[in-house]
Amino acid sequence: MSARDAILRRLDTNSGDVAAEARALLALPERPAVDARALIETFAERLSAPGVAASLDRIESVEQLPGAVAAYLGTYAPVPALYLPPDPAVQRLDWSSVALDAACAVDGGAALAVASAAVAETGSLVLDTAPTAPMLPNFLALHHLVVVRAKTLVAHLEDVPAPATMPRARYWVTGVSGTTDIEGQYVRGAHGPRFLHVILIG
Amino acid sequence: MNAGFKLRAAEALADPLLKVAVERTAGTAEAKRATAVAAFDAFEAARTRAAAIKDHVIAHLGHYLEQFEANAIAAGAQVHWAETADDACRIVVDLCRRAGAKSVARSKSMLGEEIGLPHALAEAGIERVETDLAEHIIQLAGERPSHIVWPAMHKTREQVSDLFRARHAEPHAEETITAMAESARRHLRTAMLGADVGISGANFLVADTGAVCTVTNEGNAELSVVPPRVHIVTAGIEKLVPSMDHAIHLLRMLARSATGAPLTQYTTFYTGPKRARDLDGPEEMHIVLVDNGRTKMRDEGLAEMLRCIRCGACMNHCVVFRQIGGHAYGGTYPGPMGAVLTPTLDGLAASRDLPQACTMNGKCQEVCPVRIPLPTLLRGWREKSWREGLEPVSTRSAVRLWAWVARRPWLYRLSARMAVRAMCLFGRRWIAAIPLAGAWTRHRDLPAPQGRTFMDQYRRRQR
Repeated sequence: MSARDAILRRLDTNSGDVAAEARALLALPERPAVDARALIETFAERLSAPGVAASLDRIESVEQLPGAVAAYLGTYAPVPALYLPPDPAVQRLDWSSVALDAACAVDGGAALAVASAAVAETGSLVLDTAPTAPMLPNFLALHHLVVVRAKTLVAHLEDVPAPATMPRARYWVTGVSGTTDIEGQYVRGAHGPRFLHVILIG
Repeated sequence: MNAGFKLRAAEALADPLLKVAVERTAGTAEAKRATAVAAFDAFEAARTRAAAIKDHVIAHLGHYLEQFEANAIAAGAQVHWAETADDACRIVVDLCRRAGAKSVARSKSMLGEEIGLPHALAEAGIERVETDLAEHIIQLAGERPSHIVWPAMHKTREQVSDLFRARHAEPHAEETITAMAESARRHLRTAMLGADVGISGANFLVADTGAVCTVTNEGNAELSVVPPRVHIVTAGIEKLVPSMDHAIHLLRMLARSATGAPLTQYTTFYTGPKRARDLDGPEEMHIVLVDNGRTKMRDEGLAEMLRCIRCGACMNHCVVFRQIGGHAYGGTYPGPMGAVLTPTLDGLAASRDLPQACTMNGKCQEVCPVRIPLPTLLRGWREKSWREGLEPVSTRSAVRLWAWVARRPWLYRLSARMAVRAMCLFGRRWIAAIPLAGAWTRHRDLPAPQGRTFMDQYRRRQR
């Protein structure tokens, strides 16, 4: 008998309506209170919490994105070069004011990502891999820039719409790469980003 | 391991640095958890729900395993099943060999430690790059993890500094923790990106999508499993959850109980390998589902232990762990949850001291996010150890004698009365030494009995 069959044979075949029981377990879940009328304020507050420690910029339209990015990168010296994902929504913009890095440097640069949603409860950004959205640059760069539309902001993690099919990877970014592995002291930029900058559109 | 525990505990107690190191990290974790729990109004009800979700999964484990397998395969992953630790290691090593792997990047997984994967890879001659900073530290030191969330919590900064200076190509220039972390970043970056295979564990396996969820604060899981050509997941079969929303409830409990954060910095759901036009990701994804005693636990009265989500709160709040640290326990898992799991994994005969090393203060059960009745389970092992005759002759005779006396109230009261008188011979107010009880009184003084026994006083008042 294969290991699979042996293990499954030891586990009873289920009885009853498993799916209904599973759904019932999620009725009125306990979760941190989020004021639905103040989603942006709550989101901003979570981003500034020490564990997330992200900076937030707000712009009116996507056309203002390159300018906002240039302003952020300009506060660092030397100015980090930016990796842009092959996403037409950002590629079509005028990036002449920003030094671009097509390959994404192995360390030290900046990477931009487009989030499909944001969550006020935790200050999380929801990122999905796609042919227009690689994953690795967001973990290699020192500066992680994430752009997200205000209308995709939801109160709780459960409220993020489920994709029609799961992407290869869906990842929630709630801060930077940090560690407390040496004497419990918090250090930012353990392996990946040391800075997270969120640009909210609208 | 039997005599070993007492020896290791004695050594740990005599190590002043260890106490400082454990106290710093566990103390901080305890305070941060308390703040996080206080900020979450319905946390107690949320614990009850978390326990119910895990109980539901454990009751229908076969159903969810089959559902998960079907969805993972549909997403392009390959699913393997392992009955034992050795089987699991063999599967992983074979997959590495087939991939022609010279080096693997490994993201911290307690299951990997449990099945002895580091050792199996070494025997197969495959280079292993531990990417979690703490795992990297203990890999350099040639040690085992001493905590399930902070595996290097027993190391001081000075010890870490010495290790990095000896082993890193470009070590830190100044003696700060930040500079040490940067030294590790430089060292691990290149090693991670050059690996042929990435190995991770799983915090959750989502049945209705076939997704594998990992959580890290360092982002090392993603850097370990995205660049290599092959991603191997090793996961215990109890990691199943019905859906993403069930995982979300447990994630809220996990992060708060472990580090006091509302959520981990990086929470990733991997569903199958790289898609046709994706720009990165592995070409193959393998998921190894490991039993290694779990179905047996379910059937032999330890089903509640399968709720465990590996947050480490029980050990952070354990008075025994805080004194002796994790290595003294001798198994993969330390602290209260380890004292329950180790007898299952290594056999009770080899680990019967662990369930005894507990004060039964119940703190672990109070903080457990999935309400595991740890003291009850530990008592279960004590009873089993007694039934199987594993307790030493001295303990057995003493308990038998006590039981014989306790069943005869007149004799019990007489003995108590005599004992009160006798004890007063060894001290007026405090007793510093009693013959034949040297092991107890060497480190402790006890107040001398004042007056009569409780029963005598009670009887007098009744009159």
